[in-house]
Amino acid sequence: MARGEYLLEVRTEEIPARMLAAGVRELATRVFEELMARGLGPHEIETGFTPRRLLVRMAGVPPREPDREEQVMGPPVRAAYAGDNSPTPALLGFARRCGVEPEQLLRVVTEKGEYLAAARRTAGRPAATVLSELVPRILTGISWPKTMRWGAGEGPWVRPVHGLVSLLDGEVVPFELFGVAAGDQTAGHPILSPRPLKVRGAADYRRKLASRHIEVDPKRRRAVLAAAMHERAAALGGRLVEDEPLLDKLAALCEIPGVLEGSFDAAFLELPEEVLATSLRDHQSALTVVSRDGPAPARLLPYFLTVMDRPDDPAGRIRAGNEWVVAARLADARFFYGEDLAAGLGRRAEQLSRLAFHERLGSYAEKTERLVGLAETLCAELGWRDKAPAVAVAARLLKVDLVTEMVKEFTSLQGVMGGLYARHEGHPEEVWQAIYDQYLPVAAEDPIPRGRAGQVTGLADRFDTLVGMFGCGLVPTGSKDPFGLRRAAQGAVRIAFEGRLAVDFERLTAAAVALYGSRLERGAGDVWAILRPFLDDRIRYVLGLYGYAYDEIEAALAAGAANLPDLRARVDAIHRVRGEEAFLSVVLAAKRIANIVKDVPDQPLDPQRLLELAEPAERDLAAAFAGLRAEVETAAAAGDYERALRRIAELAPVLDRFFVEVLVMDPDERVRTNRIALLQAILRTVSRTAKLTEVVVDRTEHRARAGT
Amino acid sequence: MQTLQDLILRLSEFWARRGCVLQQPLDLEVGAGTMHPDTFLRVLGPEPWRVAYVQPSRRPADGRYGDNPFRLGKHLQFQVILKPAPADVQRLYVQSLAAIGLDLAVHDLRFEEDNWEAPTLGAWGVGWQVMLDGMEITQFTYFQQAGGLELRPISAEITYGLERLTMFLGLSRSIYEVAWVDGISYGQVRHQEEVELSRYYFEVADVAFAQQQFDGMERESVRCLDAGLVLPAYECALKCSHLFNVLDARGAVSVTERVGLMKRVRDLAVACAKAYVESRERLGFPLLPAPVPDAAAAVPEMPHGAR
Repeated sequence: MARGEYLLEVRTEEIPARMLAAGVRELATRVFEELMARGLGPHEIETGFTPRRLLVRMAGVPPREPDREEQVMGPPVRAAYAGDNSPTPALLGFARRCGVEPEQLLRVVTEKGEYLAAARRTAGRPAATVLSELVPRILTGISWPKTMRWGAGEGPWVRPVHGLVSLLDGEVVPFELFGVAAGDQTAGHPILSPRPLKVRGAADYRRKLASRHIEVDPKRRRAVLAAAMHERAAALGGRLVEDEPLLDKLAALCEIPGVLEGSFDAAFLELPEEVLATSLRDHQSALTVVSRDGPAPARLLPYFLTVMDRPDDPAGRIRAGNEWVVAARLADARFFYGEDLAAGLGRRAEQLSRLAFHERLGSYAEKTERLVGLAETLCAELGWRDKAPAVAVAARLLKVDLVTEMVKEFTSLQGVMGGLYARHEGHPEEVWQAIYDQYLPVAAEDPIPRGRAGQVTGLADRFDTLVGMFGCGLVPTGSKDPFGLRRAAQGAVRIAFEGRLAVDFERLTAAAVALYGSRLERGAGDVWAILRPFLDDRIRYVLGLYGYAYDEIEAALAAGAANLPDLRARVDAIHRVRGEEAFLSVVLAAKRIANIVKDVPDQPLDPQRLLELAEPAERDLAAAFAGLRAEVETAAAAGDYERALRRIAELAPVLDRFFVEVLVMDPDERVRTNRIALLQAILRTVSRTAKLTEVVVDRTEHRARAGT
Repeated sequence: MQTLQDLILRLSEFWARRGCVLQQPLDLEVGAGTMHPDTFLRVLGPEPWRVAYVQPSRRPADGRYGDNPFRLGKHLQFQVILKPAPADVQRLYVQSLAAIGLDLAVHDLRFEEDNWEAPTLGAWGVGWQVMLDGMEITQFTYFQQAGGLELRPISAEITYGLERLTMFLGLSRSIYEVAWVDGISYGQVRHQEEVELSRYYFEVADVAFAQQQFDGMERESVRCLDAGLVLPAYECALKCSHLFNVLDARGAVSVTERVGLMKRVRDLAVACAKAYVESRERLGFPLLPAPVPDAAAAVPEMPHGAR
């Protein structure tokens, strides 16, 4: 047995799958940190869990805390000695309390004066003592997402506690948690091997549980499940459809990783695959099997794979039961599908007036009217009049699936079902795909809607929501975002960037506010004032995801964000030229100019007065600027920002010379004004693409590369 | 083959032997066994309580005209309350499955997170849906709050869906084919009722009359509370709750009304809960065991029956 081995097992009623990994991680981290703080850090720590157990094993826990030297402060020196320099009762009492002779006392100078002090040596406590104090305190303090009480009112904790193993090198480290005493007994599976098991240490614990098929390492359970499922799928002549989150969940729903295979009536394959896969996943936590890769697209096969918390299915009863449930579920789904098809989207749409979008923002029928209007405005803004008819149909049908039987049953199919039903009703591809894709993108790896109609309606939907919520004060704060507004804004930003939709969000906001009419408390200006920084944050975040540095983003954003594809082109141009020496020189010059002119009102550049410039360096600068100004502005206007920045960078040598040879703040007011006007003109031109002063330049690196 | 009736008999006997009062269904329309006063009110306050009963539960919107083999507008719940929840309540539950003839050595039993919340009752609890071979057969809940009141001690609620369980044990294809008792099917007992109740709730129920009744029952509930009559007040609240479900199934509840109606029911339930605890306190919490010196802080023992 490893020296300093501590084994902790908490046996409970079933802890929710979603909470297990984080709970045991917090437990282990806090135990580790608190032991480290006491000089008892182990050299090894590992964790495990099943729905009914949390496990922490450590090795190399030192036998005891290091001894500690500390100073105990006593009375001030002036109170320690009487007039005849003899010790006062205060001194004698202090020495007695510290267990030292008066002459062993020390003098310590503090801010408040000189004090007596005693050196006290505290012997370190045995590790077992520390653990028995520490572990129950840390266990009760775990921050579970939801807690409960039980029995007479024990708790709060995640679920009732039934047993505790707490062993240091085979010896019980005693403590109590919610009336349960720690010891050396665990138990197997509650139905298959419920008898108590005495364990001597971690190896013995693992061996005894393993002989009862229990695997406490969730990663190993998951690997066993995944391997067995792949094998079963191959044996069925197909391929497992991977589902990482579901596999994680299944591994957290069992302590014995048994795979259960089942099949369903092939007649159900007439249902859309989205429906079959969702029903199997959401209701049965089951993975699906598709045909092997071949020339034809993979098709769903009538099988499913899920978990059972036991190694086998001795009577075939478990398979029969699961297949029965799946058949019932799929029959339900078929019923819903049939009902929805029979009703048709048009008739379902009438029910939208009874579905609340938000209590203060009315029903989905009202939202639909606004969506139609906003999508039309967007088409007009974008000059996509040919798309307008399809967009209008998609917008009108966009939310209808929320009142279909299928979506009431499987909310995760929202959008998808509307799309499938629209396709079934013969709507053209751009219409049904717009409905199908409307919630994209959800996750960072999701694409945006496939077609133009989907992008326009997706953007309109999100802006309607954002404007409505912000317009009645439902602004996300901190981690609280119950309406998913960050995700909505992020989706809008990604659609504009990736779909290259040159939409002015401020105008879109104003249009959305107008469509709400009297529903909103705030006007367009007020809504935009709070929505704009929120959107800017999402823009920053999304550009960060694309891989741009924060200063590149800030520089481009400061030059305007009214047109996102244009913004992205500008960020990209900065990103590509920022490593170049001449560009960095211009950035430094821009910062210098900004500093010089920061308190001076902007003035126009009068060509007549440029002629008055006398110094060669300033004449050269004016000439160089005049030579490239038109070209920079043309390139920028054409969206070729990289070229614009490279041309600006050509000013670097003349700018550098200007600052060496010319003193801008000349005593002669007219000379001074002329120079400032020139610099302001240069700053205006270079700032069209990006506010260069936002770009961070590492000066030492710059000089090193410049060879100065 | 297990019949529905066998299940009721065996569960009743099992839980009666564990100290439960074998109560009868509430003689009012309710959506769940939880709403029976022997659950909703008895879980409040400090008095111990163990009860078991069948409760016909009406969910008008779930009706399918007797056409759907799995869905019913009215189904039977077997409801058990153990207050305080004993430490071995999960084991007791597993034993109850053995008592209805399940050989757990060949089945897969799992407890998956499923927290219960009833906004119209101001109630919530923490627990699981119990999955047998992939089928949800029981709701298992530790009540945490009811009528807006924190609960102490904590009750365990075990709710078996009797139709589902019987169907599942026989792997029947339709609820209507299940034997209620040998020779009489569930369909023979209840099919006509499902058809007619569905038609009534979806097509015929008089909306204006239901609204009037709702308003009247709400007033009546408040009047009863003013007169110090908690149980009649609670019955009126339950009628409001059912009328709300009827209006909902009839499609007569608009978006804005919905929130308001639910709040009105909740306000009644919360007022009844508070008044009930006060009424029991005035009676001296009669089910509490007589205080024994030294044991005053201990968990109260059950007053009746063996553990």
